[in-house]
Amino acid sequence: MDGESRNGRFVGLVLVSHSAAIADGLAELVAQVAGPSVPIVAAGGGPDGTFGTDGGRVLAALQEAARSGGAVILMDLGSSVLSVRAALGELPEETIALLRIADAPLVEGAIAAGVTASTGGSVDEVLAAAQEARTVAKF
Amino acid sequence: MPNSETERRATLPNEVPLHARPAGDFVRAAAQFPAEISVAANGKCANAKSILEILALGALGGTELVIAASGDRAAEAAEHLAGLVPHLG
Repeated sequence: MDGESRNGRFVGLVLVSHSAAIADGLAELVAQVAGPSVPIVAAGGGPDGTFGTDGGRVLAALQEAARSGGAVILMDLGSSVLSVRAALGELPEETIALLRIADAPLVEGAIAAGVTASTGGSVDEVLAAAQEARTVAKF
Repeated sequence: MPNSETERRATLPNEVPLHARPAGDFVRAAAQFPAEISVAANGKCANAKSILEILALGALGGTELVIAASGDRAAEAAEHLAGLVPHLG
């Protein structure tokens, strides 16, 4: 795709869920479909292994994703969205510029985003692929 | 002939439905080409570069896919993808 935007690196994904098992399992599933080249950071569950979201873990995930060159963030719902927004508020502008938040169903959006990232797509192309999951029928 | 359309037909291996992993391989191959590429099967048509549309075709093993490409390097794209389909796994 547009080679100038990727610098030989692949856009990554950050997966935020109330459940560590959902985030970790989805990361494995996306890696199966998209291949090993796409960096995926899972940030699931609350502190101490509870269900919920952990603002510190989400912030660390966004920082890690930005270090690897840019990423699209996918969330399940509710406080996952709030914790991502709060974490973005902690980050400098140049880091935020590397990240995009996808308003998309988590599983379908992550699969679509992962595959597009694996083709070398730019962060905006990966975002568009994730958000396509809002409208593409399943069958 | 940048705008000519090329159509190729190819059949999935009997034991390989176009589900997540093979569909991912197909989409990655399609994305290498600048051409607009569609895949038709079961009376539906999908953008070859969209895994969600490809999965929604619901193509089972042994299904014949009709690959149509137009635009830049269309013939090469259709040829390449038609050659890939029987080897998906």
